[in-house]
Amino acid sequence: MSAADAPNRRRRDTWLIFIALSVFTVINLMPLIWAVLTSLKDPRDAFTIPPTIIFEPTLEYHRQVWFENDFFVYLKNSLIVSAGTVLISVPFGSLAAYALSRIPRRSAGPILSALFTIRMFPHMLLAIPFFVMGTFLNLIDSYILLILALVAINQPFTIWLMHGFFLDIPRDLDEAAAIDGCTSWQAFRIVILPLARPGMTVAALFSLLLSYNEFLFALVLTGTSTKTLPVAIASFGGEDISSWSLSAAGAIGIMLPIVVVMLLLQRYLVRGLTAGAVKG
Amino acid sequence: MVSWQRGLWLFFVPSFGLLAVVLLWPLGYAIYLSFFDYFLGTGTRTFIGLGNYIELLSEARLWRSMWTTIIIAFGSVALEFAVGFALALALYRLNSSAKVFSVLLFLPHIVTPVVAALFLKWMLAANWGLVDATLLTFDITPPDWLGDPLWAKVSVILADAWIFTPLIMMVLYAALQGLDASLIEAAQIDGASNWRILRHVIIPALIPAIIFTISVRLMDVFRFFDLIYVLTGGGPGTATETITMYTYQLGFRMLEVGKASALGVITLVIVAALLLSINRALNSIYRGGDR
Amino acid sequence: MAPLTIRQATKSFGAVQVLHGIDIDIQDGEFVVLVGPSGCGKSTLLRLIAGLEDITTGDILIDGKVVSRLHPKDRDIAMVFQSYALYPHMSVGENMGFSLRMRDVSQAERERKVAAAAEILGLTPLLDRYPRQLSGGQRQRVAMGRAIVRDPKVFLFDEPLSNLDAKLRVQMRAEIRSLHKKLKTTIVYVTHDQIEAMTMADKIVVLRDGHVEQIGSPLELYDAPANAFVAEFIGSPSMNMLEGRVGEKGQSFITAKGVELPLEAPPPLEPGRNAIMGLRPEDIRLGAHGAPARILLIEPTGADIHVNLDLNGDQLTAVFHDRLELTEGESVGVAIPADVVHFFDVETGERISS
Repeated sequence: MSAADAPNRRRRDTWLIFIALSVFTVINLMPLIWAVLTSLKDPRDAFTIPPTIIFEPTLEYHRQVWFENDFFVYLKNSLIVSAGTVLISVPFGSLAAYALSRIPRRSAGPILSALFTIRMFPHMLLAIPFFVMGTFLNLIDSYILLILALVAINQPFTIWLMHGFFLDIPRDLDEAAAIDGCTSWQAFRIVILPLARPGMTVAALFSLLLSYNEFLFALVLTGTSTKTLPVAIASFGGEDISSWSLSAAGAIGIMLPIVVVMLLLQRYLVRGLTAGAVKG
Repeated sequence: MVSWQRGLWLFFVPSFGLLAVVLLWPLGYAIYLSFFDYFLGTGTRTFIGLGNYIELLSEARLWRSMWTTIIIAFGSVALEFAVGFALALALYRLNSSAKVFSVLLFLPHIVTPVVAALFLKWMLAANWGLVDATLLTFDITPPDWLGDPLWAKVSVILADAWIFTPLIMMVLYAALQGLDASLIEAAQIDGASNWRILRHVIIPALIPAIIFTISVRLMDVFRFFDLIYVLTGGGPGTATETITMYTYQLGFRMLEVGKASALGVITLVIVAALLLSINRALNSIYRGGDR
Repeated sequence: MAPLTIRQATKSFGAVQVLHGIDIDIQDGEFVVLVGPSGCGKSTLLRLIAGLEDITTGDILIDGKVVSRLHPKDRDIAMVFQSYALYPHMSVGENMGFSLRMRDVSQAERERKVAAAAEILGLTPLLDRYPRQLSGGQRQRVAMGRAIVRDPKVFLFDEPLSNLDAKLRVQMRAEIRSLHKKLKTTIVYVTHDQIEAMTMADKIVVLRDGHVEQIGSPLELYDAPANAFVAEFIGSPSMNMLEGRVGEKGQSFITAKGVELPLEAPPPLEPGRNAIMGLRPEDIRLGAHGAPARILLIEPTGADIHVNLDLNGDQLTAVFHDRLELTEGESVGVAIPADVVHFFDVETGERISS
């Protein structure tokens, strides 16, 4: 390879990668595209061989799923549970994470390892006692039980995530605040917390996603009055092909808010995903 | 701890108090329950010591579900890692247009897993799913993706990969971006081939991220539930019944909560042992590249 | 404004003891600089005074009151951090007024005090800015402003100038000094830079490995260093140290490498005794007479000329204010004027005084 060829070759490689990646992306998004198309199809267009690409789209099924099938109720349930989880998990987790970032490393290390270990507990092992206790306490089908279960699986991760953010805030600020007359609580509230807002956004975003998407606990701990969106859609005629369009419309409806949130907060999302992976 | 900071211990109280109540207590309760023959339907509870464990470990169904879990876990993690790493490298190479791709490729991961499982079900459903409909157009007889014991496993692996490959891609891509580009340039100037750069410069630098992703994914895959529940329900028969699925059946279908708890404890032990050995193996290969 | 006393202070981190029985008396209004190489414990000592670290044994008294176990906020001190530690989300004015706010000073009073401090430091036009919008020197000033609004009993400075460029450092040095003249508050100032110590301090405390090596005014330390360490640490370029013995006649010093340096005044120790002789670079004279030496290197700095000499294997640095006609490689005679040499014990490094 002569020196002059190198840039050409590199450019050609880049194009090949670009094309390959484009093809892969389209194929990879096929299930999603297909679901969107299905949700806009009349059954007579939905079941054809070969599959139809051109058809007359209808929003009828989107209307039906929301206005005739209680999806607004499920959405309300999902939002209550998600908000409850975030409102408990993030403040509690922030407090612990801040303390964890300020105590000596030799004390913080074991606590962090313990939290990491707790994260790997099989959820099923937690679902059983929650279910049994919920049955005894008559709390099945209540928001609070599901919220507590979601906090339980979410809290270790929230602490872990926030810990990284607090570590990035210099300890000098705590010391300056102490000298300026703050107690630990005042230093946290007035000086540190405002600086941790991006971290709290990430933690809140992840708690929100987790609780909005969570299925197992929602399935076993909710009932008719607190059923969340994922439980609703899972039990919603996925088997019966005649209701494909309707359930596709429901599925798309569940997905849309997340996609919007993700597009808006994408940079926070990456930060949260990579916390713990790239550093510490 | 320095005395002026002693008040910090109080900051732990709400969170750790909560964890004790909603996490440790239930966990202890589950372990306690695992020593009982406890049918929730009638509420009769008899202490049987290790009875549940002995019964479970001598059961063919448990070992079958264990194998299924292992096959699905390793199959999907291997697939996800291979594809995710390739995608991350491609994104890293593209630079300018990577942003658009990364958003589009990440979409499947962000979708509610139950919804994603439904999407895939509509792809793979017999006859009218997109895959079958397309193949039938060309007069190819497709396999029964979700109804054949072997293909059902493959489908589950593919479905898991569809959802989680983006995660691995994203973490590795972020790690790649954190790499010191001068390392790679120096290797290029030294005339190293792309393959050698990958093998000797990029991969060693990514070890912490790789250990992290593989560990996290393995522990997730041992507890994933939504996907199989929606896609196959563990079927056909018990062909895709993982340990988690089996625990669910025991606990919430048959209401044998004592036995289900014992199975949960067994799962916990397996996951812990697995993670420990993975960490140790990877660490020893790269002599504590994890710091 | 208050005197500060440190009594037998020790500090250990686990098994590692970093301060060994420190005793320092600081008068009301005194400007004291703690100086020493990195790792000598000077910053730790400052943090003990601030209360940011717990004292292991011993006591710290501010204004006659034992504060060793008090929370930093209850010690009535103010501190300027090396990183400045400005609160990024508060404006300059809010940063400066923060300690007053935490002490429930009324809004009007706060504004008056902040304005007064800003006036002194020339920060008035910057009060509404945020730290990120300021230059390094301005941030430094805000950090000082935050300390002075409170009118504390003691100011603590932790290497406050080390993040500034050389020119600004010299300027800020003078400013801090004149600020001290104005406010007359007790100051404890930590630095590793002996020039800062010399130019600013009323009193310097030299620390090494957690021990106080010497306490004294800058010129005391310069003229009569208590030991070889202080002698080498204070002054730039540092003091030349020659190992050897006093000549048998008591009129010369014979280096270990065998060169006999004539001394114009008899040394204060018996002939033949082994010693280390310290010689400040600016005290060396060159001429036709004296011990023969070769010029290795000539470094003109503009104001001075630094000359590296080889004295039969020993290296000497000499500084001249005159523009001598010298060339590298040339042989010259080294002479030492009266009363400028220091002698130190070979074993202990302690000063041998007359």
